Amino acid sequence: MPARPAAPPAGGLGWANLGMDIVSVNRVRRLLAQYGERFFERMLTPGELADCRTSSGLDVLSLCGRIAAKEAAFKTLRVRGRFLPWPDIVVRRSEGGWPLVELHGPAAEMAAESGITEITVSISHDVDYAVAVAAPIIAPTPSSSNS
Amino acid sequence: MADGLQTVKNWILERHPERDDIAADLDLIENRLIDSLSFVEFVFLLEQESGTAIQMETLEVDSIRTLGAIEQHFFTAKVEVGQA
Repeated sequence: MPARPAAPPAGGLGWANLGMDIVSVNRVRRLLAQYGERFFERMLTPGELADCRTSSGLDVLSLCGRIAAKEAAFKTLRVRGRFLPWPDIVVRRSEGGWPLVELHGPAAEMAAESGITEITVSISHDVDYAVAVAAPIIAPTPSSSNS
Repeated sequence: MADGLQTVKNWILERHPERDDIAADLDLIENRLIDSLSFVEFVFLLEQESGTAIQMETLEVDSIRTLGAIEQHFFTAKVEVGQA
């Protein structure tokens, strides 16, 4: 896993199509109480769930942040008629503590079609909500690299 | 309306008390009656009511876009088999 996404050089292609999402802690807490952890196994990979785990169980705020980050990352792809491919947008915690996005399968294909090489996200949470904002890194085209 | 479909409709209405009813052709996605988080729970409910395992990865948006589509894809076939 790379240490961090690399920003494009100054004067080159910049950031575009921001994605943002907000997740209610109460809503996720209800889902956890009603269905248990297995519910979130459809949305998060085992590694992501491990990142959200503490000695006393799943940390709901971390769970909310991870879900918000996936949704925010998905929004940067700007695709219609597709569901969020939950297991294919993976948000892991780096050694530095910041979230890193990995795209797999259909998510990677959708990003490639949009010229997106990577997505960077930021997560924040307080008592009742977690929010995440995501920005795509656009691959430079031959014409843009010559300009 | 099949009991399962009615349960699905009631499940959506419970989460959107501002609505009295949901027309069979109302777009559930465009009208934000199902969002990404509730979609996962919605799939759980559909599996339970239709008795069919659903692969989220291959599920087509159009198959759950309206109550009419849900009935066609998840409940009509089951009724036809029962009547045969």
